[in-house]
Amino acid sequence: MRTDLVTFDKPPITAQERKFSRVMLFFESIIKVPLFHCQHCGECILSSTAFICCQNCPKRLRNGPCGGTREDGACEVYPERKCVWYRIYVRSKRLRRISLLYKINKIHDWNLEGTSAWLNVFKKRIPGPIWLVRNDQQKVKDIIGHDVQAED
Amino acid sequence: MTFKQKIESDQFVWCGEIGPPQSCDGDVIRKKAQYFQGYVDAVNITDNQTAIVRLSSIASAKILLDEGVEPIIQMTCRDRNRLAIQSDLLGAAALGIKNVLCLTGDYQTFGDHPEAKGVFDLDSIQLVATVANMNNGFLLSGAEIKKPTQFFIGAAANPFAQPFEMRLIRLHKKVEAGARFIQTQPVFDLELFERWMDQVVQMGLHEKAAILAGVLPVKSAKALLYMKEEVPGVKINPEFIDRMNQSSDPKEEGVKIAVEIIQSLKKVKGVAGIHLMPVMWESIIPTIIQAVK
Repeated sequence: MRTDLVTFDKPPITAQERKFSRVMLFFESIIKVPLFHCQHCGECILSSTAFICCQNCPKRLRNGPCGGTREDGACEVYPERKCVWYRIYVRSKRLRRISLLYKINKIHDWNLEGTSAWLNVFKKRIPGPIWLVRNDQQKVKDIIGHDVQAED
Repeated sequence: MTFKQKIESDQFVWCGEIGPPQSCDGDVIRKKAQYFQGYVDAVNITDNQTAIVRLSSIASAKILLDEGVEPIIQMTCRDRNRLAIQSDLLGAAALGIKNVLCLTGDYQTFGDHPEAKGVFDLDSIQLVATVANMNNGFLLSGAEIKKPTQFFIGAAANPFAQPFEMRLIRLHKKVEAGARFIQTQPVFDLELFERWMDQVVQMGLHEKAAILAGVLPVKSAKALLYMKEEVPGVKINPEFIDRMNQSSDPKEEGVKIAVEIIQSLKKVKGVAGIHLMPVMWESIIPTIIQAVK
Protein backbone atom coordinates (compact mmCIF):
# COMPACT_ATOMS: atom_id res chain seq x y z
CA MET A 1 0.00 0.00 0.00
CA ARG A 2 1.42 3.37 -0.92
CA THR A 3 1.58 5.72 1.99
CA ASP A 4 1.69 8.94 0.01
CA LEU A 5 -1.99 8.79 -0.95
CA VAL A 6 -3.86 8.64 2.34
CA THR A 7 -2.78 8.83 5.96
CA PHE A 8 -3.71 5.91 8.15
CA ASP A 9 -3.89 5.76 11.94
CA LYS A 10 -4.72 9.40 12.43
CA PRO A 11 -5.66 10.26 15.98
CA PRO A 12 -9.47 10.37 16.04
CA ILE A 13 -11.22 13.68 16.68
CA THR A 14 -12.99 13.53 20.05
CA ALA A 15 -16.17 15.49 20.79
CA GLN A 16 -14.20 17.67 23.18
CA GLU A 17 -11.54 18.40 20.61
CA ARG A 18 -14.20 19.25 18.06
CA LYS A 19 -15.43 22.00 20.39
CA PHE A 20 -11.91 23.29 20.91
CA SER A 21 -11.32 23.09 17.15
CA ARG A 22 -14.19 25.52 16.61
CA VAL A 23 -12.53 28.06 18.87
CA MET A 24 -9.21 27.58 17.10
CA LEU A 25 -10.92 27.86 13.73
CA PHE A 26 -12.33 31.24 14.75
CA PHE A 27 -8.84 32.65 15.27
CA GLU A 28 -7.46 30.83 12.25
CA SER A 29 -10.22 32.32 10.09
CA ILE A 30 -9.39 35.86 11.20
CA ILE A 31 -6.04 35.46 9.49
CA LYS A 32 -6.67 32.95 6.76
CA VAL A 33 -10.00 34.12 5.36
CA PRO A 34 -9.05 37.74 4.55
CA LEU A 35 -5.56 36.78 3.39
CA PHE A 36 -6.14 33.54 1.50
CA HIS A 37 -9.93 33.10 1.12
CA CYS A 38 -9.50 29.97 3.26
CA GLN A 39 -12.15 27.32 2.54
CA HIS A 40 -11.61 25.46 5.86
CA CYS A 41 -10.55 22.16 4.32
CA GLY A 42 -8.67 21.42 7.54
CA GLU A 43 -5.79 19.93 5.57
CA CYS A 44 -3.88 23.08 4.74
CA ILE A 45 -1.29 22.91 1.94
CA LEU A 46 -0.90 26.69 1.57
CA SER A 47 2.86 26.50 2.02
CA SER A 48 3.30 24.19 -0.96
CA THR A 49 1.01 26.27 -3.17
CA ALA A 50 2.90 29.56 -2.77
CA PHE A 51 0.38 30.77 -0.16
CA ILE A 52 -2.60 30.79 -2.47
CA CYS A 53 -5.47 28.57 -1.31
CA CYS A 54 -5.98 25.91 -4.01
CA GLN A 55 -9.37 25.05 -2.52
CA ASN A 56 -10.81 28.09 -4.31
CA CYS A 57 -10.63 26.04 -7.50
CA PRO A 58 -14.21 25.08 -8.50
CA LYS A 59 -13.07 21.46 -8.77
CA ARG A 60 -11.08 21.83 -5.55
CA LEU A 61 -8.05 20.31 -7.23
CA ARG A 62 -5.04 19.76 -5.01
CA ASN A 63 -2.50 18.71 -7.63
CA GLY A 64 -2.44 21.37 -10.29
CA PRO A 65 -4.79 22.88 -12.87
CA CYS A 66 -7.28 20.94 -14.98
CA GLY A 67 -6.91 21.13 -18.75
CA GLY A 68 -9.28 24.05 -19.09
CA THR A 69 -7.10 27.03 -18.18
CA ARG A 70 -7.68 29.65 -20.86
CA GLU A 71 -5.11 31.44 -22.97
CA ASP A 72 -5.10 34.47 -20.64
CA GLY A 73 -4.92 32.25 -17.54
CA ALA A 74 -8.63 32.51 -16.75
CA CYS A 75 -10.66 29.75 -15.10
CA GLU A 76 -12.83 27.69 -17.47
CA VAL A 77 -15.78 27.74 -15.09
CA TYR A 78 -15.62 31.42 -14.10
CA PRO A 79 -13.92 33.28 -16.97
CA GLU A 80 -13.87 36.52 -14.94
CA ARG A 81 -11.48 34.90 -12.45
CA LYS A 82 -7.90 33.82 -12.91
CA CYS A 83 -7.34 30.07 -12.60
CA VAL A 84 -6.20 29.48 -9.03
CA TRP A 85 -3.46 27.15 -10.21
CA TYR A 86 -2.31 29.68 -12.78
CA ARG A 87 -1.78 32.15 -9.95
CA ILE A 88 -0.09 29.48 -7.85
CA TYR A 89 2.31 28.72 -10.67
CA VAL A 90 3.16 32.39 -11.30
CA ARG A 91 3.77 33.08 -7.63
CA SER A 92 5.73 29.85 -7.11
CA LYS A 93 7.98 30.94 -9.93
CA ARG A 94 8.48 34.35 -8.32
CA LEU A 95 9.05 32.96 -4.83
CA ARG A 96 11.24 30.14 -6.20
CA ARG A 97 9.04 27.38 -4.83
CA ILE A 98 8.44 25.44 -8.07
CA SER A 99 9.96 22.24 -6.69
CA LEU A 100 7.04 22.00 -4.24
CA LEU A 101 4.59 21.73 -7.15
CA TYR A 102 6.13 18.39 -8.14
CA LYS A 103 4.94 16.72 -4.97
CA ILE A 104 1.73 14.67 -5.21
CA ASN A 105 -0.65 15.96 -2.55
CA LYS A 106 -2.65 13.42 -0.62
CA ILE A 107 -6.33 12.64 -1.17
CA HIS A 108 -8.41 15.00 0.94
CA ASP A 109 -9.73 13.63 4.22
CA TRP A 110 -13.29 14.95 4.40
CA ASN A 111 -13.44 14.29 8.14
CA LEU A 112 -11.09 17.22 8.53
CA GLU A 113 -13.39 19.57 6.60
CA GLY A 114 -14.31 22.49 8.83
CA THR A 115 -11.70 21.73 11.48
CA SER A 116 -8.72 23.82 12.46
CA ALA A 117 -5.67 23.00 10.32
CA TRP A 118 -3.39 24.44 13.01
CA LEU A 119 -4.79 22.01 15.54
CA ASN A 120 -4.47 19.18 13.01
CA VAL A 121 -0.78 19.99 12.56
CA PHE A 122 -0.34 20.04 16.33
CA LYS A 123 -2.14 16.69 16.61
CA LYS A 124 0.09 15.31 13.78
CA ARG A 125 -2.85 14.52 11.52
CA ILE A 126 -1.30 16.57 8.72
CA PRO A 127 2.28 17.67 8.07
CA GLY A 128 3.35 21.14 9.11
CA PRO A 129 4.06 23.99 6.70
CA ILE A 130 7.25 24.26 4.66
CA TRP A 131 8.57 27.76 5.30
CA LEU A 132 11.87 27.88 3.50
CA VAL A 133 12.82 26.38 0.17
CA ARG A 134 16.50 26.56 -0.69
CA ASN A 135 18.05 25.95 -4.11
CA ASP A 136 14.70 25.54 -5.81
CA GLN A 137 16.18 25.34 -9.30
CA GLN A 138 18.60 22.63 -8.26
CA LYS A 139 15.78 20.65 -6.65
CA VAL A 140 13.69 20.84 -9.82
CA LYS A 141 16.73 19.75 -11.79
CA ASP A 142 17.18 16.76 -9.50
CA ILE A 143 13.54 15.76 -9.93
CA ILE A 144 13.36 16.00 -13.72
CA GLY A 145 16.99 15.59 -14.73
CA HIS A 146 17.41 18.87 -16.60
CA ASP A 147 16.35 22.53 -16.72
CA VAL A 148 12.89 23.41 -17.89
CA GLN A 149 12.81 26.33 -20.28
CA ALA A 150 9.63 28.03 -19.27
CA GLU A 151 8.08 30.62 -21.49
CA ASP A 152 7.51 34.16 -20.21
CA MET B 1 -1.69 -8.41 -29.79
CA THR B 2 -3.27 -6.27 -27.12
CA PHE B 3 -2.94 -2.51 -26.82
CA LYS B 4 -0.66 -2.90 -23.80
CA GLN B 5 1.59 -5.47 -25.47
CA LYS B 6 1.89 -3.29 -28.53
CA ILE B 7 2.96 -0.28 -26.46
CA GLU B 8 5.36 -2.33 -24.41
CA SER B 9 7.02 -3.68 -27.54
CA ASP B 10 7.43 -0.10 -28.84
CA GLN B 11 5.12 -0.41 -31.81
CA PHE B 12 3.26 2.57 -33.18
CA VAL B 13 -0.32 2.45 -31.84
CA TRP B 14 -3.63 3.87 -32.99
CA CYS B 15 -6.54 4.72 -30.71
CA GLY B 16 -10.05 5.74 -31.55
CA GLU B 17 -12.83 7.25 -29.53
CA ILE B 18 -16.55 6.54 -29.29
CA GLY B 19 -19.06 8.74 -27.52
CA PRO B 20 -21.92 6.57 -26.24
CA PRO B 21 -25.46 7.66 -27.14
CA GLN B 22 -27.88 9.56 -24.90
CA SER B 23 -30.15 6.54 -24.90
CA CYS B 24 -30.07 2.85 -24.01
CA ASP B 25 -29.54 1.80 -27.61
CA GLY B 26 -26.48 -0.46 -27.58
CA ASP B 27 -26.70 -0.94 -31.34
CA VAL B 28 -25.35 2.59 -31.81
CA ILE B 29 -22.11 1.44 -30.22
CA ARG B 30 -22.08 -1.81 -32.19
CA LYS B 31 -22.47 0.16 -35.39
CA LYS B 32 -19.74 2.65 -34.49
CA ALA B 33 -17.45 -0.22 -33.48
CA GLN B 34 -17.42 -1.45 -37.09
CA TYR B 35 -15.63 1.69 -38.24
CA PHE B 36 -12.77 0.98 -35.86
CA GLN B 37 -12.44 -2.77 -36.14
CA GLY B 38 -9.19 -3.73 -37.79
CA TYR B 39 -8.02 -0.11 -38.01
CA VAL B 40 -7.15 0.84 -34.45
CA ASP B 41 -5.62 -1.00 -31.48
CA ALA B 42 -8.04 0.28 -28.86
CA VAL B 43 -11.03 2.56 -28.61
CA ASN B 44 -11.76 5.07 -25.84
CA ILE B 45 -15.26 5.11 -24.42
CA THR B 46 -16.05 8.52 -23.02
CA ASP B 47 -17.54 8.85 -19.56
CA ASN B 48 -20.40 11.38 -19.73
CA GLN B 49 -18.23 13.73 -21.76
CA THR B 50 -18.85 17.46 -21.39
CA ALA B 51 -20.95 16.49 -18.36
CA ILE B 52 -23.87 15.23 -20.46
CA VAL B 53 -25.62 12.03 -19.35
CA ARG B 54 -24.88 9.16 -21.70
CA LEU B 55 -24.85 5.38 -21.69
CA SER B 56 -22.29 4.31 -19.13
CA SER B 57 -18.67 3.95 -20.15
CA ILE B 58 -18.21 0.50 -18.61
CA ALA B 59 -21.40 -0.92 -20.13
CA SER B 60 -20.40 0.44 -23.54
CA ALA B 61 -16.94 -1.03 -23.13
CA LYS B 62 -18.48 -4.45 -22.50
CA ILE B 63 -20.44 -4.13 -25.74
CA LEU B 64 -17.21 -3.27 -27.55
CA LEU B 65 -15.46 -6.28 -26.00
CA ASP B 66 -18.21 -8.53 -27.29
CA GLU B 67 -17.72 -7.00 -30.73
CA GLY B 68 -14.04 -7.85 -30.61
CA VAL B 69 -12.75 -4.29 -30.20
CA GLU B 70 -10.43 -3.53 -27.30
CA PRO B 71 -11.91 -0.76 -25.15
CA ILE B 72 -10.25 1.90 -23.01
CA ILE B 73 -12.74 3.09 -20.41
CA GLN B 74 -12.59 6.68 -19.30
CA MET B 75 -13.10 7.27 -15.61
CA THR B 76 -13.82 10.77 -14.35
CA CYS B 77 -13.70 12.13 -10.83
CA ARG B 78 -16.69 14.40 -11.36
CA ASP B 79 -19.38 11.77 -10.86
CA ARG B 80 -17.97 9.37 -8.32
CA ASN B 81 -16.40 9.40 -4.91
CA ARG B 82 -13.62 7.01 -3.95
CA LEU B 83 -16.06 4.21 -3.08
CA ALA B 84 -17.86 4.34 -6.42
CA ILE B 85 -14.61 4.70 -8.37
CA GLN B 86 -13.03 1.63 -6.82
CA SER B 87 -16.21 -0.41 -7.03
CA ASP B 88 -16.72 0.49 -10.69
CA LEU B 89 -13.11 -0.37 -11.43
CA LEU B 90 -13.44 -3.77 -9.78
CA GLY B 91 -16.58 -4.32 -11.84
CA ALA B 92 -14.82 -3.28 -15.04
CA ALA B 93 -11.93 -5.63 -14.29
CA ALA B 94 -14.37 -8.49 -13.70
CA LEU B 95 -15.92 -7.82 -17.13
CA GLY B 96 -12.50 -8.20 -18.74
CA ILE B 97 -11.75 -4.53 -19.33
CA LYS B 98 -8.00 -3.95 -19.30
CA ASN B 99 -7.41 -0.27 -20.02
CA VAL B 100 -8.50 2.77 -18.06
CA LEU B 101 -7.96 6.44 -18.78
CA CYS B 102 -8.06 8.59 -15.64
CA LEU B 103 -9.55 12.06 -15.99
CA THR B 104 -10.69 14.84 -13.70
CA GLY B 105 -13.79 15.45 -15.80
CA ASP B 106 -15.47 18.51 -17.27
CA TYR B 107 -17.18 20.78 -14.80
CA GLN B 108 -20.87 19.99 -14.38
CA THR B 109 -22.13 23.47 -15.39
CA PHE B 110 -20.99 22.77 -18.98
CA GLY B 111 -23.39 19.86 -19.32
CA ASP B 112 -27.08 19.11 -19.32
CA HIS B 113 -27.44 19.00 -15.54
CA PRO B 114 -25.78 22.23 -14.46
CA GLU B 115 -27.41 22.05 -11.03
CA ALA B 116 -25.63 18.79 -10.20
CA LYS B 117 -23.19 18.34 -7.33
CA GLY B 118 -19.71 17.78 -8.70
CA VAL B 119 -17.92 15.21 -6.59
CA PHE B 120 -14.19 15.67 -7.27
CA ASP B 121 -13.31 13.54 -4.27
CA LEU B 122 -10.06 12.64 -6.03
CA ASP B 123 -8.29 14.45 -8.84
CA SER B 124 -6.92 12.77 -11.94
CA ILE B 125 -3.42 12.33 -10.47
CA GLN B 126 -4.78 10.77 -7.30
CA LEU B 127 -7.03 8.60 -9.46
CA VAL B 128 -4.02 7.31 -11.41
CA ALA B 129 -2.31 6.52 -8.11
CA THR B 130 -5.48 4.83 -6.82
CA VAL B 131 -5.66 2.51 -9.84
CA ALA B 132 -1.93 1.75 -9.53
CA ASN B 133 -2.59 0.98 -5.88
CA MET B 134 -5.37 -1.43 -6.86
CA ASN B 135 -3.01 -3.10 -9.33
CA ASN B 136 -0.67 -3.59 -6.39
CA GLY B 137 -3.49 -5.29 -4.53
CA PHE B 138 -4.78 -2.60 -2.19
CA LEU B 139 -7.84 -0.44 -1.81
CA LEU B 140 -7.55 3.12 -0.51
CA SER B 141 -8.75 1.86 2.85
CA GLY B 142 -5.55 -0.15 3.08
CA ALA B 143 -7.47 -3.41 2.74
CA GLU B 144 -5.97 -6.07 0.52
CA ILE B 145 -7.73 -7.15 -2.69
CA LYS B 146 -7.68 -10.93 -2.98
CA LYS B 147 -7.49 -10.75 -6.75
CA PRO B 148 -5.75 -7.50 -7.70
CA THR B 149 -6.72 -5.66 -10.85
CA GLN B 150 -4.37 -5.57 -13.83
CA PHE B 151 -5.28 -2.29 -15.43
CA PHE B 152 -3.12 -0.60 -18.02
CA ILE B 153 -3.33 2.97 -16.76
CA GLY B 154 -3.59 6.02 -18.93
CA ALA B 155 -3.98 9.72 -18.32
CA ALA B 156 -4.58 12.84 -20.36
CA ALA B 157 -2.32 15.81 -21.00
CA ASN B 158 -3.05 19.19 -22.46
CA PRO B 159 0.08 20.68 -24.03
CA PHE B 160 -1.85 23.74 -25.19
CA ALA B 161 -3.30 25.14 -21.96
CA GLN B 162 -1.53 27.69 -19.79
CA PRO B 163 0.90 27.74 -17.99
CA PHE B 164 3.26 25.72 -20.17
CA GLU B 165 5.62 24.54 -17.42
CA MET B 166 2.75 23.56 -15.13
CA ARG B 167 1.53 21.17 -17.85
CA LEU B 168 4.88 19.39 -17.73
CA ILE B 169 4.75 19.27 -13.94
CA ARG B 170 1.30 17.67 -14.12
CA LEU B 171 2.51 15.17 -16.70
CA HIS B 172 5.49 14.34 -14.51
CA LYS B 173 3.19 13.73 -11.55
CA LYS B 174 0.86 11.53 -13.60
CA VAL B 175 3.72 9.38 -14.84
CA GLU B 176 5.16 9.21 -11.35
CA ALA B 177 1.74 8.15 -10.03
CA GLY B 178 1.69 5.24 -12.47
CA ALA B 179 0.32 6.33 -15.86
CA ARG B 180 1.75 4.22 -18.67
CA PHE B 181 0.11 5.90 -21.64
CA ILE B 182 -0.81 9.53 -22.18
CA GLN B 183 -3.39 10.85 -24.61
CA THR B 184 -3.12 14.52 -25.49
CA GLN B 185 -5.76 17.04 -26.42
CA PRO B 186 -6.23 17.42 -30.20
CA VAL B 187 -3.23 18.97 -31.93
CA PHE B 188 -4.01 21.96 -34.13
CA ASP B 189 -0.81 23.83 -33.34
CA LEU B 190 2.15 21.70 -34.32
CA GLU B 191 4.78 24.24 -33.33
CA LEU B 192 3.58 24.39 -29.71
CA PHE B 193 3.15 20.62 -29.59
CA GLU B 194 6.71 20.08 -30.79
CA ARG B 195 8.04 22.43 -28.14
CA TRP B 196 6.09 20.56 -25.45
CA MET B 197 7.20 17.20 -26.79
CA ASP B 198 10.83 18.35 -26.82
CA GLN B 199 10.58 19.04 -23.08
CA VAL B 200 8.82 15.71 -22.47
CA VAL B 201 11.67 13.90 -24.24
CA GLN B 202 14.29 15.86 -22.29
CA MET B 203 12.57 14.86 -19.05
CA GLY B 204 12.61 11.25 -20.26
CA LEU B 205 8.87 10.90 -19.71
CA HIS B 206 8.29 9.37 -23.15
CA GLU B 207 10.30 6.35 -22.02
CA LYS B 208 8.12 5.76 -18.99
CA ALA B 209 4.79 6.39 -20.68
CA ALA B 210 3.72 6.18 -24.32
CA ILE B 211 2.66 9.58 -25.61
CA LEU B 212 -0.31 9.34 -27.98
CA ALA B 213 -0.96 12.59 -29.81
CA GLY B 214 -4.60 13.58 -30.22
CA VAL B 215 -6.02 14.28 -33.68
CA LEU B 216 -9.53 15.54 -34.28
CA PRO B 217 -10.86 15.48 -37.84
CA VAL B 218 -13.34 18.31 -38.45
CA LYS B 219 -16.15 18.59 -40.96
CA SER B 220 -16.42 22.37 -41.21
CA ALA B 221 -14.77 25.67 -40.39
CA LYS B 222 -17.63 26.26 -37.96
CA ALA B 223 -16.54 23.28 -35.86
CA LEU B 224 -13.01 24.67 -35.67
CA LEU B 225 -14.26 28.13 -34.71
CA TYR B 226 -16.52 26.61 -32.07
CA MET B 227 -13.59 24.81 -30.52
CA LYS B 228 -11.45 27.92 -30.65
CA GLU B 229 -14.08 30.10 -28.97
CA GLU B 230 -15.96 27.74 -26.69
CA VAL B 231 -13.67 24.93 -25.64
CA PRO B 232 -11.14 26.16 -23.07
CA GLY B 233 -7.59 24.95 -23.41
CA VAL B 234 -7.69 24.29 -27.17
CA LYS B 235 -5.31 26.14 -29.45
CA ILE B 236 -5.88 26.29 -33.19
CA ASN B 237 -3.50 27.49 -35.87
CA PRO B 238 -5.49 30.14 -37.86
CA GLU B 239 -4.10 28.66 -41.07
CA PHE B 240 -6.40 25.64 -40.66
CA ILE B 241 -9.48 27.83 -40.23
CA ASP B 242 -8.61 29.77 -43.40
CA ARG B 243 -8.10 26.57 -45.33
CA MET B 244 -11.45 25.18 -44.18
CA ASN B 245 -13.17 28.45 -45.09
CA GLN B 246 -11.70 28.62 -48.58
CA SER B 247 -12.28 24.99 -49.45
CA SER B 248 -15.21 24.06 -51.69
CA ASP B 249 -15.45 20.66 -50.01
CA PRO B 250 -14.80 21.25 -46.29
CA LYS B 251 -15.18 17.56 -45.40
CA GLU B 252 -12.44 16.55 -47.79
CA GLU B 253 -10.27 19.42 -46.60
CA GLY B 254 -10.89 18.28 -43.00
CA VAL B 255 -9.60 14.81 -43.85
CA LYS B 256 -6.61 16.32 -45.65
CA ILE B 257 -5.73 18.45 -42.64
CA ALA B 258 -6.07 15.48 -40.28
CA VAL B 259 -3.81 13.35 -42.51
CA GLU B 260 -1.22 16.13 -42.73
CA ILE B 261 -1.22 16.60 -38.96
CA ILE B 262 -0.81 12.86 -38.40
CA GLN B 263 2.09 12.66 -40.85
CA SER B 264 3.85 15.54 -39.12
CA LEU B 265 3.15 14.04 -35.69
CA LYS B 266 4.64 10.71 -36.71
CA LYS B 267 7.93 12.48 -37.31
CA VAL B 268 8.02 14.14 -33.88
CA LYS B 269 10.46 12.43 -31.55
CA GLY B 270 8.78 10.62 -28.67
CA VAL B 271 5.32 10.26 -30.20
CA ALA B 272 4.34 6.61 -29.71
CA GLY B 273 0.96 6.68 -31.37
CA ILE B 274 -2.08 8.62 -32.51
CA HIS B 275 -5.34 9.07 -30.66
CA LEU B 276 -8.14 9.84 -33.13
CA MET B 277 -11.15 11.69 -31.77
CA PRO B 278 -13.78 11.76 -34.50
CA VAL B 279 -16.49 13.57 -32.55
CA MET B 280 -19.76 12.32 -34.11
CA TRP B 281 -17.89 11.41 -37.32
CA GLU B 282 -16.70 7.85 -36.64
CA SER B 283 -17.31 6.76 -40.24
CA ILE B 284 -14.28 8.75 -41.40
CA ILE B 285 -11.75 6.64 -39.46
CA PRO B 286 -11.02 4.03 -42.20
CA THR B 287 -10.49 6.79 -44.80
CA ILE B 288 -8.00 8.68 -42.62
CA ILE B 289 -6.01 5.64 -41.55
CA GLN B 290 -5.81 4.28 -45.08
CA ALA B 291 -4.65 7.66 -46.33
CA VAL B 292 -1.87 7.78 -43.73
CA LYS B 293 -0.72 4.22 -44.15
